[in-house]
Formats: sequence, C-alpha cells, structure tokens
Amino acid sequence: MDFSFNETQNEVKELANKILTDMVTVDRLNAIDTQEERFDSELWAQLAEAGLLGVAFSEDNGGMGFGFTELCLFIEETGRTVAPVPVIPVIVGAGLPIQQFGDKALAEKLLPEVATGNLIITSAMTEPYNIDAENCQTKATKSGESYTLSGSKTAVVLASQANKLLVSADVDGVTGLFLVDSKAAGIALTQLGSTSYEPWYEVQFNNTPVEDVICIQEGAATWTEERLQAALCAHQVGVADKSMRITAEFTCERVQFDVPIGSFQAVQHRAADCFIDVTCLQLTTYQAVSLLDADRDATNEVMIAKIWAGDTGHRVSYAAQHLHGGTGIDKDYHLWRYSLFARQNEMLLGSSAELLGALGSRIAEGKAYTE
Amino acid sequence: MKIEFTPEQEALRQELRAYFDELMTDELKAEVAEAVGEGGGPLFWKAMEKLGKDGWIGVGWPKSLGGKGLTEMEQFIFVEEVMRAGFPFPFLTTESVGPILAEHATGRLRDKLVPEILAGKLIMGIGYSEPSAGTDLLSLKTTAKKEGNEWVINGQKMWTSLAHHADWIWLAARTNFDPEVKKHSRISIFLVPTDSEGYSCSPVHTLGDVRTNATYYDNVRIPEDHLVGELDMGMMLIFSQLNRERLSLVNVGAFSQLFNDVTDFAKETDHPGGGKLIDQGWVQGNLAKSRAGLEALKLICYRQASEMTRGNLPMEDASAAKVYGTEFFVELYRHLGEILGVNGLLKRGSKGAVLNGRLEQLYRTASIITFGGGTNELQRDLIARGGLGMPRAKR
Repeated sequence: MDFSFNETQNEVKELANKILTDMVTVDRLNAIDTQEERFDSELWAQLAEAGLLGVAFSEDNGGMGFGFTELCLFIEETGRTVAPVPVIPVIVGAGLPIQQFGDKALAEKLLPEVATGNLIITSAMTEPYNIDAENCQTKATKSGESYTLSGSKTAVVLASQANKLLVSADVDGVTGLFLVDSKAAGIALTQLGSTSYEPWYEVQFNNTPVEDVICIQEGAATWTEERLQAALCAHQVGVADKSMRITAEFTCERVQFDVPIGSFQAVQHRAADCFIDVTCLQLTTYQAVSLLDADRDATNEVMIAKIWAGDTGHRVSYAAQHLHGGTGIDKDYHLWRYSLFARQNEMLLGSSAELLGALGSRIAEGKAYTE
Repeated sequence: MKIEFTPEQEALRQELRAYFDELMTDELKAEVAEAVGEGGGPLFWKAMEKLGKDGWIGVGWPKSLGGKGLTEMEQFIFVEEVMRAGFPFPFLTTESVGPILAEHATGRLRDKLVPEILAGKLIMGIGYSEPSAGTDLLSLKTTAKKEGNEWVINGQKMWTSLAHHADWIWLAARTNFDPEVKKHSRISIFLVPTDSEGYSCSPVHTLGDVRTNATYYDNVRIPEDHLVGELDMGMMLIFSQLNRERLSLVNVGAFSQLFNDVTDFAKETDHPGGGKLIDQGWVQGNLAKSRAGLEALKLICYRQASEMTRGNLPMEDASAAKVYGTEFFVELYRHLGEILGVNGLLKRGSKGAVLNGRLEQLYRTASIITFGGGTNELQRDLIARGGLGMPRAKR
C-alpha cells in the first residue's frame, strides 16, 4: 500500500509546476483572453520543448516513456494554473489511443510530431446526452478500401487549429476510432461559446473520408473515454485544490470586525469541508489513474473518481466564491477562471448524477460489490 | 503509488477472516447481539481467552512489551477484520491504553496487569469526561491529592463505558493546583481498581441501547504506585492513547460488508410493482451514493494507516479522516436504511426484521460518532489550522 509518488513522478510534477507557474501569470491569461481563441501556442511549445507533451509516449514514439500517472500529474498542474492548453483532448484523447491501438508505423510517424507540438490531433468523441462510448450516433461506412464518416460531435477542442481529428464512430455495432484530416471534404465546423472560453467546436461530418483507421475494436472507445474521464478528474484536483488555497489565503488577509475573517470558526469550517472534499477527490483520482496506468480494470474506480470530481468541483467552487464575498467574481482577480473550469470538469463526460446512475446499474448487475 | 495490499498483508487478511469466521459461532453472535457493542457475557470472555492464547491481543504492541509488533497497516487490517466479523473487541483496553500502560505503569502494577490484558482477562474503563468537562478536557474537576503514601481521589466521571465489566479505571485527575501552571501540565493518570472503597458506578442507558456509566469517586484511596507516568504530565499519555485509537475510530470493514448485504437484500427482494427492489432507480441511486462514499472512506483509512506506518500522519489528515468517516456513516445508514423501508424500522428479533435489525440499531448508535473521539467541530478547527494555515479560532 503506497500512496506516495516515485522520484520520476515527483520530477515530472515539479517540472510541470515550474514551467506553468512561471508562464501562466494573470497578465498572460488576460492577454490570451483578448485572442480569437483561448490557446497559448507559446506555452504549448515550451511544454513540448520540456518533453511534457510526450511524457507518456514511448521512446519509439518520440516520448519520455513514462506512464499515465506521470501524464496526469502534469495535467493536474495545468488545472492548478488554469493553463490555456489542450493537453487532455490532444494527448489523452488522441495521442494515447493512437499509441495503444494504432498501427506501429503510423504511431511512430505521428506521435513524435505531436510531442514536439508541431502536429495537433484533437479528440472528437463527445456527443450530447450520451456518455456511452460504445454507442456512437456518428456512423462510419465502408467505402472502397477505407471509410467515410457521417454525424456530429460536440465540444471538440481547438478543431479550428488542429491538423487532424480522432473521431469515434459506429461500424455495424462496434465503435471504431478514425483519423480524419481537419480540412477533409464534408467537414463543417461551428464555433461554440463554451462556459470556460475553451475554444469548442461542433464538428459535422458528411461522408467525410477517413485518412487512417486507428482501430475498429470493441472496448477501444471505452478505453479512451475512461482515460479522458480520469484526466478530467486530475485536472479537477488541480482546480479545486488551488481554489481552496487561494481562498484560505484570502481569508487570512481580509479583515472585518478588526480580525481576519479566517479566524471565524464558521469560515474555517467551510474551508475545512473543502479540504475534506479535495482529499476525497485526490485519493479516488489517484487510485483510478494508477489502476489505469497498470492496465487494470478500473471502470468502477473511474466512475467514482468522476462522481467526486463533480461533487467536489461544485462544492469547492461555490465555497470559494462565497468566502471571497465579492472579490472572487471580479475578473481582475484570479478566482473566476477556476470557478468556470470546476464547472466544466464537473459536467464533461458524465455529471455526478449520470455516473451515479451508471454505477447504480453496475451494482444491480453485481459488478460493484466492495471487496 | 500502488494502492493494494502486499501479498503478506493479503495473507494476513485471509488468515484473520477465516479465524474470526470460526470464532463467531452462532451462540456467540446471539450473545453479542444481546449486549450491543460491549461484550461481557460468558461466551465473550471465553472468546477473549482464546484470542489471548492465539496471540491476537496486543497485536500493535512492541514485541519487547509482549505484543505481536505488527505495523500500523497490519493493525488496521486486524481492526478491519474484527469489525467485519462483529466481535466486540475491547480495542480501547488492548490496543489503545494497553501499550501505553505497559510502557509507563510502575513495575509491580505493570507485571500484574500486562499479562492479564494479553490473556484477554482484563478490561478497563476510561475516565476522562466529566459532567462539565468534555471537549474542554483540561478543565476537569476530579482531584487526586497525596496523603502519606496514598492518593486520595474525589470527583465524578461521565461516559465511563465498560466500567460495569471493568476491573480497573484508567483515570485522569487534576494533581497540580498552582494557578500559574499551564492547563496541560496539571493532570495525571491513575489506575483505580473498581473494588476500591468509595468507588461506585451507575448505568446510563442510551439511545443506541449501548450501556455506559457515570462513575463516582468519594475519597477513593489508592497506593502511590498507581500513578502512571510522570506526575502532572498525564496529557502526554492521553494524547498518545487517543492517537493509537485512530485506527479503530474510523474503519471500513464492517460497512463494506453492510453495503454488500443490503445490495444482496435488494437483489433478492420482490418489489410489489414487479421485478426486484434493486430494479428501482432510487434504490440504485442510494446504493451508488453509498458505494462512491465508501470508496473514498477506504482510501482515506488506508492512507492514514500507511502514513502512520511511515511515522508521518499530518494532523489535518487524521482529523479529515475522523470528520469524513463519521459524517459519512450517518448518511450511509440513512441511504441503506431507506432501501429496507418500513421493515428497516423493526428491531432485531421482531417479526419482519431485516438483516437482523442491524440498520435499525446502527441508525440510533450513530448519534455518538460525530462528537465521540474528539468532536467534529474541533477536528475542523485543526484542519483549517494545520491544512490551510488559517489562524487559531477564538474560544
């Protein structure tokens, strides 16, 4: 039973923390917000330069050869700094499944380019009202040697600047993963206005030719989705932990009735409840991440972590705003972006309610007894 | 990061599970159910004696003091299996007070009491709380004054659990009356035999049907070597003892079993509208909430045991475990109890009682856990201070 990180993991975490805290200042975030799209390409290049984008790619694929745990510790730091970089959709949602299921030569061609930041492949898996990755409404149809796609995906991050999309689509009842050129025929992008200002697109496919078939294999989409969910949880750990610490610090400085408000027991107890929530989120997330890293079955554990990501995100975000009493909503102060990402992480790939429903079904099927 | 037991720990777990399965005969289960949570019947004492013979008492004590010398993680596994089996193991005496006593009691008393504890023949009551000293323990009023080579004790203790089965009370009393001396340096610990003249005990019957006691000390005279540890420094012993109590305060074993049992109940029970109870969406919802909460509790407990094994348990993590665990239990009993419906209100032994009335009773006994073992308000103060650097709250 070991709850600590090994040396490599700590090094990755520290490296990510250093680059991100140095670069992602409030001024820089404000500047990025004036751009057309919330994406910091310079930071992306720095992260690539440091090897972090390829931290979980094998050496053959131009990476550092570490695991999913290291990647998630990096992602946690992007949450802690609300960094405007699409690590989850590009690395977890596209890079990892290409490495896991794709043709070896193809992976060795594409992934080194992803790791250097020169190639952006973004994940297009999400469909509204549907978290069952094995039941896609988007369809792939055999056309000669390859396939064409028809259907629609939502919340596709940075589709405008991506070179390629990794799309999940149904082939006669089995979900496949397909690589599509972003400029291919029959693709239509519509910019969406997302709550976090993350650049989201609805992408419509109309007989869009597939460039490469990554795999048509039952379980591959679920494999990817579980990692995306766990990565969102890791991001939420960073967001929630930082929100809580910003808040605790604020209450030590803010004076009312001649004393810091942090000396009031009612304020302390609201903050202590955040501490407990963040602890639960951290532990369930690290458990899910480490099981996935070891390629173990982790369906229940991922669901449970994501339920905590929803509940903790919601409660900590509101407690943080409440304890700031107005300062927190001011866009000149740094808390507001955390509140938005807490909400986004809560809702993406299954809210707490939806996942409690799914977990409940598994309990009824006898698949979720305690040991 | 590897959140699983080592093969040795897993083997210990299996060994203990098999051992307690055998120990808990139907007769013993019936006796234990009669006197909830406290034991004390003839079969209980027989089982204790067997546990002593088999070396399962004092598992956390150092080998040098006659114990098994298990690590905190192994002790945690032990507690988990005992609780899963439902044996009212007297952890306070054997695992919490016991090793402190073995280390600090004077020679004659130590040589007499330690073998009795390890043989499963002795239970102690803890005399800390008083009618007007609970969370603010340092303001306790019971006094011990030296007269010749004896200590004379006067006062009243409240919530002295197990006193009616106990041969000894582990008692905190004020020994320093200098107003200049700080509050935490004026209390000492004594071992008081319950057959002393001037000692008396009266029952307090509780909501949870667990008996506890008020104990009275009217000029109780005990020999001077019944002082444990250093004079006026009893708080150190109290802190060490409370710290050892952590492993048994919040534990996941019994509740994992309860969750599985209620799940099976819902799968087997017909719903009058057709299908089984578990086909109802709200039943699945309650089970899912319980399951998600239990998983977090399991991880919190395991991490606590693992940090204690490494000798590095931050105060805020210990407090977070206590607050989360106890408040979760209350919700767990509610969510699981709702599934049992009106039959969940029936007491053990009644016609129609479900799962032996366990939830009917747990719901009542749960009232004490959020304040017992250090009230959750105080724990939240500690979390805010230790974990978040917030200033000490005014009292």
